[in-house]
Amino acid sequence: MEERHSTGKNLFITAAILAGASGISFVLQQFATTDSHVPLLFVLAVLFVSRLTDGYLYGIVASMAAVVGVNYVFTYPYFAFDFTITGYPFTFLTMLAVSVSVSALTSRVKQQEQIRLEVEKEKMRANLLRAVSHDIRTPLTSIVGSASGILENRDVLTKENEMELVQDIREEAQWLIRIVENLLSVTRINGENARIDTQEEAVEEVISGAVVKFCKRFPDAKVQVDMPGEFLMVPMDGVLIEQVLVNLLENSILHGKTTTLIRIAVSHGPGRLTVAVEDDGQGIREAVLPVMFDGQISSSNGEECDSRRNMGIGLSVCRSIVKAHRGGMRAENKSTGGARVLFWLPMKEDDTDGY
Amino acid sequence: MDIKDRVLVVEDDKSIRNFFKTVLEANNYDVIMAVTGAEAYSMVTSQCPDVVILDLGLPDMDGMKILKSVREWSSMPILVVSARTHERDKVEALDAGADDYITKPFGTSELLARLRTAIRHARAAYLTPEGMQTGTFRTKDLLIDYDKHRVYVGERDANLTQNEYKIVSLLGKYAGKVLTYDFIIKEIWGPNMKNDNRILRVNMANIRRKIEKSPAQPEYIFTEVGVGYRIADPD
Repeated sequence: MEERHSTGKNLFITAAILAGASGISFVLQQFATTDSHVPLLFVLAVLFVSRLTDGYLYGIVASMAAVVGVNYVFTYPYFAFDFTITGYPFTFLTMLAVSVSVSALTSRVKQQEQIRLEVEKEKMRANLLRAVSHDIRTPLTSIVGSASGILENRDVLTKENEMELVQDIREEAQWLIRIVENLLSVTRINGENARIDTQEEAVEEVISGAVVKFCKRFPDAKVQVDMPGEFLMVPMDGVLIEQVLVNLLENSILHGKTTTLIRIAVSHGPGRLTVAVEDDGQGIREAVLPVMFDGQISSSNGEECDSRRNMGIGLSVCRSIVKAHRGGMRAENKSTGGARVLFWLPMKEDDTDGY
Repeated sequence: MDIKDRVLVVEDDKSIRNFFKTVLEANNYDVIMAVTGAEAYSMVTSQCPDVVILDLGLPDMDGMKILKSVREWSSMPILVVSARTHERDKVEALDAGADDYITKPFGTSELLARLRTAIRHARAAYLTPEGMQTGTFRTKDLLIDYDKHRVYVGERDANLTQNEYKIVSLLGKYAGKVLTYDFIIKEIWGPNMKNDNRILRVNMANIRRKIEKSPAQPEYIFTEVGVGYRIADPD
């Protein structure tokens, strides 16, 4: 959504542009023999005013001011009003008409842009909802099935059968929790302009938080962290970035299939912090690479890709989080096998304390 | 004779109440239940529970209100239950005197561990008077010697500075419990310190480099992102 300026700011923009146009006219007047460029210049100025301010009003005010001002300053007699010059009423009217219609047109364009943005946002929301309901329905079906299976077949089920079903229930429920956590993360990103509250966070703490959480869920997973020795503070929403890392770590295990070691590599270059999560699993299929952050992988590309454990939501959430930090995200396959997903966040240069 | 600890569970959701009752009774606690804040308040005053498990989201009143009013007259351990995304609630609850929090959804073992820690703390605070701390604290290879004001990793002296020692010993005093950034800053640098936790972060980074093998995979001091720090439970 476009930001709205305050009245003062709009007035300031209007005044500044008109002043600029006057200045240029003055300069040109030194060289030009006629005044014909002056009205054109002011029409241009009015166009800019209507583009850069909100609503019709400022454009129309600017065009009025331009018409009066041009008459006062730039037409003979200079610095006096004279509406009786031959043909002047015509010029006057034309300029007014041009200015008003230009400002109306640009306002219309702006409105349409607004509508287009809204539609796009709506579309994104619908996509997310569709993906979510799909992802939630599958584990729920399994939970309801297993639970009623136990309740209704008490007499025939062996202890082991029962345990198996209960374990399924727990596993599916944990999967649901992950989905919900991801969705909750999205709600922390302010809808309007996708801003977040960032705070200086110690990078090593956020990473260790994510690793501890991840290892609680996957006690057998091996994670190796490579960090630069210095102490890094980077502005971020720590909880959200932790969520991104947990998602990436989980993907390495769940989708890497053959993953035995996950490596988190942190580096920082000029103005950015880069975190890479690499594994030695089976890698990412080429077909998926370009669309994997779009949140709608599973069903569309025909191939049966473990439909339930689709990484759609997790990754698209990751990307929205990173984007809200004004960072970026990328995925690739390593030449040595396995996948590498990396994201970067902007940071200030002096945020590396030699501690 | 075996005297059971009495747990008051304040929770409005029926199936979660059921879960608490089953698990806690199976683990030898005496469980009493309250559904609303008003009920909780009267039970706290009449039944003298040993520990309270308090859900912050209650239908009739804010759980924080109960927490604050109980803290006016009692230091009974209170364990707060909250949802994941609300670190502010957690921090607020801890600063208002909650002993610990558990994040929904949680597993049985986590719940029981937190409960034991909370009860232990309450007993310890009752036995040893405020302030002075003596003896040692050990978890794995980490040893805090309160008498000598030293911290050792294995046989090696970690060479902590004065403030670093103060932070570690403060964490050790409340082992197993999350201490919020604000709480630590007030305890170490006093109440007039401006609320800038950068200095704490830097001190913590130094401590980590002195006692942990890998700062990003700590064994002793854990970060709860957005809330504070917690030291591992003693052996």
